[in-house]
Amino acid sequence: MTKKNILYIVSCFLLCSANESCEEFIDVNTPDYKLDSKVVFSTDNSAQRVLDGIYNQLFNTSYSGGGAQSVTYLAGLSADNFDLTTITPELTEFNTNQITTTNAYNLSLWSGAYNIIYQTNALLNGIPNAGNLSQSTQDRLEGSGRFIRGFTYFYLVNLYGDVPLILDTGYQQNALATRTDKKSVYNQILKDLESASELLNNSYTDNDRTRPNRFAALAMLARVHLFLGHWEQADAFSSQVIAESSQYELMGDLNSVFLANSREAIWQISPIGSGSSLTHTREGNIFIKTPTTSTPVELSESFLNDFRGQQDKRTEYWIDVLSTDRDSLYYPNKYKIQYDASGGDIREYSMVLRLTEQYFIRSEAAARMNNLENAVLNINIIRSRASIPVVNTVSGQNEMLNLILLERRRELFAEWGQRWFDLRRFEQSAILRNKLNSNWEITSNLFPIPASELMNNPNLTQNPGY
Amino acid sequence: MKILLTRLRLVAVLFTALFLINPVIPLWARPHNSSPPSLIQQTVNGTVSDTDGLPLPGVTVMIKNNKTGTSTDLDGNYSINAVAGDTLVFSYVGFKIQEQPVAAQNRIDIQLKEAATALDAVTINAGYYSTTQREATGSIAKVTGEEIQNQPVISPLEALQGRVAGLQIVQETGIPGAAPSVKIRGRNSLRSIYGNNGNLPLYIIDGVPINSAPIQSLNQFISGQGVDPLSNLNPSHIESIEILKDADATAIYGSRGANGVILITTKTGKGVVHKTEVDLRYYGGISRVDNFVDLLDTQQYLDLRRRAFENDEVQPTEANAPDLILWDQNRYTDWQKKLFGGTAQVTNLSFDISGGNKTTSFRLGAGYQNQGTVFPDDHSFEKKTVNLNLNHQTEGGKFKMNLTVNYSINNNDLFSSGNFVSDALSLPPNAPELYNEDGSLNWENSTWDNPLAQLEREGSAEVNNLVSNLGLQYELARGLLLKANLGYTYLDSEDVIKIPLESSDPAIWDRISQRSSHNFVNRKSWIAEPQLGYNLSLKKHEIDALLGATFQESEDSSLGFTGRGYSNKQFIGNLDAADAISTSRDQTLIYKYNAVFARFGYNWDRRYFLNLTGRRDGSSRFGPDKRFANFGAVGAAWILSREKFMESQNILSFGKIRGSYGLTGSDQIGDYRYLDTYEATPGPGGIYPTQLTNPKFSWETNKKLEAGLELGFFADRISFNVNWYRNRSSSQLVGYPLPAITGFNTVEANLPATVENTGWELEISSLNLDSKTFKWRTSVNFTIPKNRLIEFPNIEQTSYSNSFEVGKSLNIARLYKYNGVNPETGLFQVVDANEDGRLDSDDQIVSVDLGRDFYGGFGNQLSYGNMSLNFLFEFVKQEGRKFYNGVPGFRGNSIDYGENTFSSRTNESNGQIPTQSIDGLISYLNAYNSDFIITDASFIRLKTFSMGYDIPKEILGQVQILSAQIFVHGQNLFTISDYPGQDPQNPGVVSLPVLQSITAGINLKF
Repeated sequence: MTKKNILYIVSCFLLCSANESCEEFIDVNTPDYKLDSKVVFSTDNSAQRVLDGIYNQLFNTSYSGGGAQSVTYLAGLSADNFDLTTITPELTEFNTNQITTTNAYNLSLWSGAYNIIYQTNALLNGIPNAGNLSQSTQDRLEGSGRFIRGFTYFYLVNLYGDVPLILDTGYQQNALATRTDKKSVYNQILKDLESASELLNNSYTDNDRTRPNRFAALAMLARVHLFLGHWEQADAFSSQVIAESSQYELMGDLNSVFLANSREAIWQISPIGSGSSLTHTREGNIFIKTPTTSTPVELSESFLNDFRGQQDKRTEYWIDVLSTDRDSLYYPNKYKIQYDASGGDIREYSMVLRLTEQYFIRSEAAARMNNLENAVLNINIIRSRASIPVVNTVSGQNEMLNLILLERRRELFAEWGQRWFDLRRFEQSAILRNKLNSNWEITSNLFPIPASELMNNPNLTQNPGY
Repeated sequence: MKILLTRLRLVAVLFTALFLINPVIPLWARPHNSSPPSLIQQTVNGTVSDTDGLPLPGVTVMIKNNKTGTSTDLDGNYSINAVAGDTLVFSYVGFKIQEQPVAAQNRIDIQLKEAATALDAVTINAGYYSTTQREATGSIAKVTGEEIQNQPVISPLEALQGRVAGLQIVQETGIPGAAPSVKIRGRNSLRSIYGNNGNLPLYIIDGVPINSAPIQSLNQFISGQGVDPLSNLNPSHIESIEILKDADATAIYGSRGANGVILITTKTGKGVVHKTEVDLRYYGGISRVDNFVDLLDTQQYLDLRRRAFENDEVQPTEANAPDLILWDQNRYTDWQKKLFGGTAQVTNLSFDISGGNKTTSFRLGAGYQNQGTVFPDDHSFEKKTVNLNLNHQTEGGKFKMNLTVNYSINNNDLFSSGNFVSDALSLPPNAPELYNEDGSLNWENSTWDNPLAQLEREGSAEVNNLVSNLGLQYELARGLLLKANLGYTYLDSEDVIKIPLESSDPAIWDRISQRSSHNFVNRKSWIAEPQLGYNLSLKKHEIDALLGATFQESEDSSLGFTGRGYSNKQFIGNLDAADAISTSRDQTLIYKYNAVFARFGYNWDRRYFLNLTGRRDGSSRFGPDKRFANFGAVGAAWILSREKFMESQNILSFGKIRGSYGLTGSDQIGDYRYLDTYEATPGPGGIYPTQLTNPKFSWETNKKLEAGLELGFFADRISFNVNWYRNRSSSQLVGYPLPAITGFNTVEANLPATVENTGWELEISSLNLDSKTFKWRTSVNFTIPKNRLIEFPNIEQTSYSNSFEVGKSLNIARLYKYNGVNPETGLFQVVDANEDGRLDSDDQIVSVDLGRDFYGGFGNQLSYGNMSLNFLFEFVKQEGRKFYNGVPGFRGNSIDYGENTFSSRTNESNGQIPTQSIDGLISYLNAYNSDFIITDASFIRLKTFSMGYDIPKEILGQVQILSAQIFVHGQNLFTISDYPGQDPQNPGVVSLPVLQSITAGINLKF
């Protein structure tokens, strides 16, 4: 008991009217394991830690972590690369394209994305009010924050259509936000990414590809413009990334593409975010099958059929099989480590953006602008890496686009739901009707807004078909 | 702010008024000298003692029909002016009132007999003041130290089971030291999970509140319950435990009284003049599990497995059926007996020395308790305690002080395993040998998980605990006492678990590393409570008032970390030898609390009682604008047996009607929740916002209403108490649901949800026989609780809608409707209520109340000559989930449901056919989430049994011994229940059942 406390007690008891001291007595300081949000942005160091926190949390957040509630898994199941081998109702709903509005995984996907939005908003709103941050820190924080926010809204708008565009942290107003039309959301995405491409450095901080640089922003810009049909910009931005050969190259050895800081990687997420001794990626954990672990997903018949008839290095390196007494289960084997708790170095990072996609973007942009020669040139770079015969000529734009769609399927499977978005962009989603038990309809292209969101916010509306 | 000022002023005025009255008191209180002059005044002297001849100080000596009186001094002497023909009335709490007419003599020595009836004998501690059972306005139950020490238990809480109406204690595991679930009059808060439980009662040891939240434990046996913070007390050193239940009793604890209060008083030095006495008590014995589940033997099991393969049309292979192909087909191991069927040794030794002179008395105690485990290998729970109680008063008794110090060290040395017990229940009965011939663990080529590998995960937990209190009291003027309680508590817990490679299958050693987990918990608090007490008797009016303040500060720290990458087993735990250390938690929570409280007790002629209590509380757990709140209660009682019109009959010897109403609160919500802050991310280097913040939330409130009737018949040989209560808990502090677009799903706020607990409590006690040699008392307590969520606006918009329903109990389980076995597939079926082709929470249309319908205890105390016999049955009527240990047909043993349960596809049994298909698993799990699993889980348990024999003085002969008693105690000796599973106390839970113990010992007093 300190002297001060004794003083309080005596004064409080004897002079009850002087209750100022009573109020003072029960004052507590902010404990050392918490940091008052008002002082978070007061120094470069602590502001930087908010950003580091976002990178860590990207691994722990459902939508971006690569696990069972991630874009990779759920959008992947919605497309036609995966079949289920066990029954989890939430996953089955995605696989059969009949998601109920109360699907808990869908809610988790949605809330995870908005939690990351909240963190980036807190960062972006904190910086201008901080006052005494150095310019370089301010640029890096703002550039990175905008990049992650733009990236996250890209997935929200593509998964759900019109979504509430939340740009600050006040929950009273945000709780009543309405859905913003896709165009405005895209405008914000472009604004964020452009601004990021101006603010971020060319090189990676500490050579760590989990911290996006300017080329990550450019790569995202290339993708967003492609999705918007801005072929020229898509071509220009992807070309800028491809030209950066001092940092990026297609790895000849397919086994080293998904390694930590691989030269093919533009942006990765590190399992360090979990803070535990587990050093494997969630993709590795959830896709790789061993005799003792039963994972719910296998590669579908139609996917495997697309490799038939020719030798493809990708079937050798990126696909593996587990044979049981009943059948053979094929699974994605891009990541090699299923489980590792030995506490050693982290050998694989979860891939978010990689160079190959930029070649695809440039090829597709060229094809859409009817520059078939260029389109062929770019796609052949990817085909040769996979050791499959190069394409010499194509008869027309349609054939070229179909080639690109096929090649994207063979190259980008089990990565961030690429196939799901591809089918929609190429207006070929209807083939999903061919899946076993499929309930696909045109309205299935958007996931439902989670039911609890509508209940808790009367201003939200549901997507058609749900 | 303004309200606070006015209130404090009011208090100040009251305070000053008390002081003003003070000088006048002596005038009133002075003995009257105006007795009729015609009679001769004489001075009567004498000594009052108890039946053992020990003097009784403080006995009230009054002249009947005259308000003149005095009291005995420290040596039991008194002196009073009386006239012949007067009658002297001697009264003392806990003793029978005795009357003695004054004749010509001037010396009257009196021996007071201890009151035989419960009502008078019981002085009860109401926390800041004390009262008697007879005159209490509130609902307070008392369990005596004797009842507690007659039970071979680790924690005093265990000893309360079945003894108190309205108190529900469930031991969730038989591991010593684990925290039980404790509820006084039901569940008030929606938050009931471990770590965020809003239903914990307030624990007070010798006036010092201690944190009632279980202490976090790393050991997986109890990591879901934590360590009982009262397990550090030595049950033999407890004088009494009082349970405060209604508003009248708890409102003086204000914001901490909502869930009731458990007051623990440790033993003090006896009386004032007392020769030094030594009390030595030893007992030893055994503990074991007495209820094993009937599982299949090897042939039944293998038969079941084979039929599963047949039904599924799958060929058993080495990979999918090692138990059928690779393992010995004739081996049989009773894994329950093997893994938790051992016998644990129990040893308890306690020692007390007490004594004193006119002004000072002391009691010094020490205890040692050791309890083994029923698991293989040598493990034990050890408790060492030291207690000191010191009383001192000045000659005239103007100044008094009392110091109590309780210190203890608990050591729990137990391997850590979360599935040791469930393994024992599910291992195939023909599972391989545990050891290879060379003595190493047998992994049978990685075809099974050797359960004994868990034994390699050594755990050790040490808890050091100090609870101390200094009470000071000074009589400023007659009837006016200035008091202060100064308490300090310190608890330090250190928990280490070591995980060597040997605890895992060698096949995976290359993917894991050796590690150690460490957890340190430190709780310290101090409390200061200055008080001013005042009492006044004026003619038939009696006033007892109290004004006080509380200042409390507590600091709870916890530090958890893991070291990994030890190169050698020997190094595990030494952080120097670890490759990496990662911290999982490092927190220090400060809680500050400040209050002003007052009590005003009034009675007229000891017939009409009124008790007003109030408290103004301030707590650091709330935002700056919401820190203060007021709580209070009014209680009243009418002792109708003291009315004139009751004097003419002699059936009803006592009658009291009482009632109370008041408001209490709860601030059990954790610290700092109102702050807008960032915390460190699990990954290194980062920080992130972990919640949305609302600085405006405030206290949960609990309005309590109670009515009671207490009757005594035939000179109180039969007593009968009945209480009715209704507690309504509202402003529930739970997450207010938000759309996830705000970044989070909830924000801390007071929901306008209300939980109601109502109930009837009945206590009957009867002295069946009362002769010189044979005494027999029977007592029964009985509680019918009812819990209901009466209000929860928009519950369907929250995640609570899956677990709660407005209008129903919080203890409900929402389940599918079971629909029998499908005759075609042989699988269980449940009803798809909304016929949408899928099963989800909308189809969970059955809700079953898993709370208790009623519960209570039935006890008998018999004594015949030197022999005594006590026993208590606990009984509970409830429904619960069936025991479940896997789907029949899958690898793993199954409960034996008797013949024909698992026949072929065409049978008409009520079980699902053996299968290990996915459909079979799903249908089985659905059935286990339907009303199919609900079964009667009522039980009657012989909770305690004790037999004692006082060795007669003649036999002791020349030995300098005051008394010697030998005794036998039994705990949980048998249970009558139809429940097919482990402990019906915890239906559906797979854990180590509560142990049965039998001990014998001796108690010597010198």
